[in-house]
Amino acid sequence: MLDVLETQGNAAGTGDRTISPAWTGLVRHLHITPRAFLPMRAMPEIKLIAGRGIEGDRYMIGREEGFYSHKPEEGRQVTLFEIETLVALKRDHNIELGSEEHRRNVTTEGVPLTHLVGRKFWLGETLLEATRLSIPCRHIEDITGKAIFDPLINRSGLNCRILQGGVVRIGDTMRNFQ
Amino acid sequence: MKAAPITTIKTIVEKIDDGGPDVKVFSLVDPDRWELPPFRPGAHIDLHLPGKIVRTYSLCNDPAENSRYVVAVKREPSGRGGSIRLHDDVRQGDTIGVSLPRGGLQLDNKVSRFTFVAGGIGVTPFLSAAAYLMRTGGADFRLHLMVRGEPPVAGLLAPLLQKGHVVIHNTVSAARPDIASLIGRTPSDEMVGCCGPQGMIEDFEQATRDWPDELVHIERFVPLTRPLDPNEKPYTLVLSRSKLEVAVTAGQTMLSALIDAGIDIPASCCGGICGSCKVDWLQGEPVHRDRVLSPAERGKSLMVCVAGSATDRLILDL
Repeated sequence: MLDVLETQGNAAGTGDRTISPAWTGLVRHLHITPRAFLPMRAMPEIKLIAGRGIEGDRYMIGREEGFYSHKPEEGRQVTLFEIETLVALKRDHNIELGSEEHRRNVTTEGVPLTHLVGRKFWLGETLLEATRLSIPCRHIEDITGKAIFDPLINRSGLNCRILQGGVVRIGDTMRNFQ
Repeated sequence: MKAAPITTIKTIVEKIDDGGPDVKVFSLVDPDRWELPPFRPGAHIDLHLPGKIVRTYSLCNDPAENSRYVVAVKREPSGRGGSIRLHDDVRQGDTIGVSLPRGGLQLDNKVSRFTFVAGGIGVTPFLSAAAYLMRTGGADFRLHLMVRGEPPVAGLLAPLLQKGHVVIHNTVSAARPDIASLIGRTPSDEMVGCCGPQGMIEDFEQATRDWPDELVHIERFVPLTRPLDPNEKPYTLVLSRSKLEVAVTAGQTMLSALIDAGIDIPASCCGGICGSCKVDWLQGEPVHRDRVLSPAERGKSLMVCVAGSATDRLILDL
């Protein structure tokens, strides 16, 4: 989508200028858990440590207690998920999935997560770089008991690296870096 | 050394209580007292003990108690060794891996009365159900417990006895009551459950043969074998480079069989979309169930997380 936008921009004579999707979003929910399989706990705020992860979360680099920790990934320090996907699961598949069940750390509103791979953006006072789209896994069906693998293909969230740490709170604003 | 995948919930033995003759009650908690995955009344968990021993026990506590798993274990000297290991070797503070809770009773339907029939330590699946029903107060229930002598888990039974929910039948001093007389006829708003020795379960099955399936719950000490899909057949993987043969049982995934055999296979989604576990095959006829390989790629490769085999032997380039 971004490539298309940039191509269109160039075709319209905007030169080398890169067109970014215009958006401003919100942090709606925050969740962490210290170990694989355990329920995610809702938090009013979380502390992001640059280059490492979220304080107390299973995927904090050096802690390594997540289901996928045996597959180290430097770009999985914090994960995000669109609240719009939860609405779509209900609307399109009649599946009620709570913000604590998708097992990503930050539930966002108004943020086109799938467009942000390779980009930097502000999450409250912290600066993130999106490394890749998350992929669904059968593990989440085992934990939730809900058939959500297929409906989550291509909208399972975003993995990010933390470039600038800080405290993120519910209600914080999200916006592009530029 | 490469980190091993985490396949169980890490718990700590918080305390071990005396549960009566040859019975110990183990309370398991997260190391940080974090909430544990939720469970239904009557659910059970697998305990992963040293020596690759995996044993299943019913959860005895109220499902509302979300940061503790309580299991009662009777020491069975002639058993397969799991209960002996728990009784003799496990101490307070030890770490035990457990599975996600499974199974349980559906107590939130339109049933106004429950009757549970249990023999000895077979009372355990009904303790969490009883605690749930006591707390919610939505339905009346009675637990008939057959014992030879002193009942097990007296501490867990005490609040139920106090409220008159438990009838203890000591079969040393009197004959075992007729199960049909305990559960009565088939009112549509009553649900019945049984857990105990095989003879008791057979009598219970006989007494409930005319009951609707959804109103009868039977919990067995030895789980029934899962009914197999008739299309699922066992086969053998031949690993050409390792010179190994790996048996895949009917219903097992190729990935699971390879991991059990100690083969290091990268895998991620386990649903055939991410492409992590792609392996080349050389001979045989794979059954492809992935959504990532093109028809041309399938001529050479398969995804071991979802693929099967139409032939008795499948040769992989591993």
